Amino acid sequence: MTVSTDQHKEGNKEVTFRVFRFNPQVDSKSYFDDYTIPVERGVTVLRSLNYIKEHIDGSVSFRAFCQAGICGSCGMRVNGLSQLACTTQVWDVLAKSREPGVIKVEPLRNLPLIKDLIVDMDPLVGKMVHYSNWVDSTMPEAQMGKKEFLISEEEFLRYDKATDCILCASCVSECSILRANKEYVSPAVLLKSYRMSVDSRDSMHEQRLAELVKDHGVWDCTHCYRCQESCVKSIPIMDAIHGLREDAIESRGKNDTSGSKHAEAFMTDIEKKGKLIEATLPIRTNGVVWTLQNLLPMAMKMIMKRRTPPPPPLVKSVKGIKIFRAMFREMTEHVKQDHKSHNK
Amino acid sequence: MKPFDIVIVGGGGAGLYAAMEAMKTNPALNIAVLSKVYPNRSHTSAAQGGANAALGNKAKDDTVEMHIFDTIKGSDYLADQDAVDVLCSEAPKIIRELENMGTPWSRMEDNTIAQRPFGGAGRPRCCYCSDKTGHTILQTLYEQCLKKGVIFFNEYFALNLSVSGSRSNGLIAMNMKTGKVEAFPARTVILATGGYAKMYWNRSSNAAGNTGDGQAIAYRAGIPMKDMEFVQFHPTGLRKSGLLVTEGARGEGGYLVNKDGERFMARYAKEKMELGPRDLVSRSIETEILQGRGFDSPAGTYVHLDLTHLGADLIKSRLPQIREMAMNFEGVDPIEEPIPVKPTAHYSMGGIDTDNQTRTVMEGVYAAGECACVSVHGANRLGGNSLLDILVFGRIAGRTAAEEAGKFTQGRITDAELAEQFEEIRGGMHASGRYERYGELREELGRTLALNVGIFRESSLLQKGIADLAELRERFKKVRISDSSDVFNTNLMQVLELKNMLDLAETVAAGAYARQESRGSHTRIDFPVRDDANWHKHTLATLVKGNVTLAEKPVTMGRYELQERTY
Repeated sequence: MTVSTDQHKEGNKEVTFRVFRFNPQVDSKSYFDDYTIPVERGVTVLRSLNYIKEHIDGSVSFRAFCQAGICGSCGMRVNGLSQLACTTQVWDVLAKSREPGVIKVEPLRNLPLIKDLIVDMDPLVGKMVHYSNWVDSTMPEAQMGKKEFLISEEEFLRYDKATDCILCASCVSECSILRANKEYVSPAVLLKSYRMSVDSRDSMHEQRLAELVKDHGVWDCTHCYRCQESCVKSIPIMDAIHGLREDAIESRGKNDTSGSKHAEAFMTDIEKKGKLIEATLPIRTNGVVWTLQNLLPMAMKMIMKRRTPPPPPLVKSVKGIKIFRAMFREMTEHVKQDHKSHNK
Repeated sequence: MKPFDIVIVGGGGAGLYAAMEAMKTNPALNIAVLSKVYPNRSHTSAAQGGANAALGNKAKDDTVEMHIFDTIKGSDYLADQDAVDVLCSEAPKIIRELENMGTPWSRMEDNTIAQRPFGGAGRPRCCYCSDKTGHTILQTLYEQCLKKGVIFFNEYFALNLSVSGSRSNGLIAMNMKTGKVEAFPARTVILATGGYAKMYWNRSSNAAGNTGDGQAIAYRAGIPMKDMEFVQFHPTGLRKSGLLVTEGARGEGGYLVNKDGERFMARYAKEKMELGPRDLVSRSIETEILQGRGFDSPAGTYVHLDLTHLGADLIKSRLPQIREMAMNFEGVDPIEEPIPVKPTAHYSMGGIDTDNQTRTVMEGVYAAGECACVSVHGANRLGGNSLLDILVFGRIAGRTAAEEAGKFTQGRITDAELAEQFEEIRGGMHASGRYERYGELREELGRTLALNVGIFRESSLLQKGIADLAELRERFKKVRISDSSDVFNTNLMQVLELKNMLDLAETVAAGAYARQESRGSHTRIDFPVRDDANWHKHTLATLVKGNVTLAEKPVTMGRYELQERTY
């Protein structure tokens, strides 16, 4: 028997699903189980897992609900990449499999594992609460329902794409910061925060931002873009993160936090030299005391291994610095304009 | 578990609105929302089209009265007219309320909420957010509930009401994370678990979990189900999954074609062709299939929805979602090949019998949304009225329960009851020897319902369906759960869902067999016309000593007299 469909038309492929298994009641560590089934074109990873569960091993555990790509339940890693099992075609994945005929299925990363492919979503919900991921309406509750806010299509378009987010947590799973720091706000929560902050009906933009600029917040992102690349709804998450940062600098100033100072130091260096002056970057970001306390041992090691960056006077500007500066200024001007029109 | 004033079962639009409104009505109350999924996963998110409200933003001359009439006519005059009054009168307020709380509605040029035309509506009054209206409404409600600090018990599977005499003591539920059976003693319970159309299994557009849990719980507690025979079929579900291909595909000019290459709608609706009303198109496709002009496949017989003549540009710009779905779920690119489709069970008009304030016959138990039958949809629901229903009556449920909670004493649930429930779900279902696979039973349930209690119904078919259901219930006793784990036992959950569907399927079949007329979504080949003299009434199905027992209830009339329903 096959994962049912048209055998007359396309034929089948034998596919081995290498499924991550872990039942906290009996297993001390995780392992993989192989299930080999014939799959034809058009069948999704979720349908295959359903088939395995119904016909081979009822104990394989995963979440699934709408099975149509809108509820976000079945986020998992398929051949290493976080995505929705219900919209992922087996044959497409197979074409890129490292081991021919094998598809590895694992739970999302960066969230606590519960069982097999099921992870705990509570930490993500907790962060949504912590960063006030809701519109705190300027309309008093007693007045609600009486009249509409008048919102331009232009404003709607500002948060339209962000409201596509289905909280599948693929971006959370792919985030490189979260791997190192589980307290980090998370791309999805930054996206939602941004969506709220560009909504003119919201009244707590500044409080939300004040929380976001603290440790584990918006400045911790290192622009690896993995969240955006893995987004199942193709939402430009990095635009939201940049938007929040621009907001932070605009409304809280350049010297607000080490995050904003770091960003500012980058800007200054790039404009001046076309590249970074790394030696003084920690001092300009976190101050002399912090740098001495935290980075001195590392600096000593770097000196020992002769890996120290050159001191500022020795950092030469890049070739064609004049043209570069002109381009840089033009670009920053564009960004400023964009930002102004956004916050109108 | 500490006792609650209100326990809400279900975290979709109705449940979340109920929670918010209850907190607003009386902030001192202890309120909990239980959901078998994280609330933001609820099936409300799948509603694309929008919610009707006579805001008059698009058509200045639209009125609540016109909305009322359209809804009553659409219901084939089976809706209760006082309930429809409530639904439509509350609509503008509730849409604005959502707007005020942050729902991102699409906008008109004058910056008001955008509205578009929808089937069966005399004016364009469907408020929308692109093609993700339900999703954005659900997000807004969930966000607002988090803001208000609503207490959620996520991934709890509701098992049964605890009942003493004519009142409920609260709810018994299984914690999916631990497998423990837990008590939720409560003064009041609001059931808001969504529809039951998934009992048609892969002939349904619904989420896997729309298994009528709330209805089954109420039914087992002796609460009557109303008008269960009315299940709306959407004409174009994908063959393999039953997932919906929206009406837009035909709106843009798609053809329906049988295996002889014929545009068969010419036979049924010469003028409107593919754009005839939903029930008519569904019946036409079904006729083609029954008369042997469909394509056969192991995943069922189907017809083609052909978009290839529309060209790549139009498909890419106007129907990108449909293209994506066809590729994801059928492996077919509609630019190059026709999409295999068949009618799919889409919405349950029937549900728990409630009054206009969402009260059931059991003291302290309320129901709202697709789970309930007030009835505002009667024999056929209009597009755009389902989201509205869950919002309006979800809110009423929250308010009513909050106002009335004080009337009821705090219920108590004994350890013995919990132990009994635990034994029932964990002890009884590990049959040894010859056993049944739940997946097979589920497939067969869907198959027999689609064949015998589907679009076309007829005495002998229904008898066959009823017999099949009895047999499936027998076989269910031997079902085996192969996962013995306490932690997140989705195997056990799916078996319990199957049991709920089996319980409810009997009421659907019994109602369909009893109703000897054709009205709205209910089509009897042997009784092809609407029979107002004998059947202008609701059916009530109640569980009495293990058997479904039918009774009837009059339809509440109002300003609108019975008329023939023509478009």
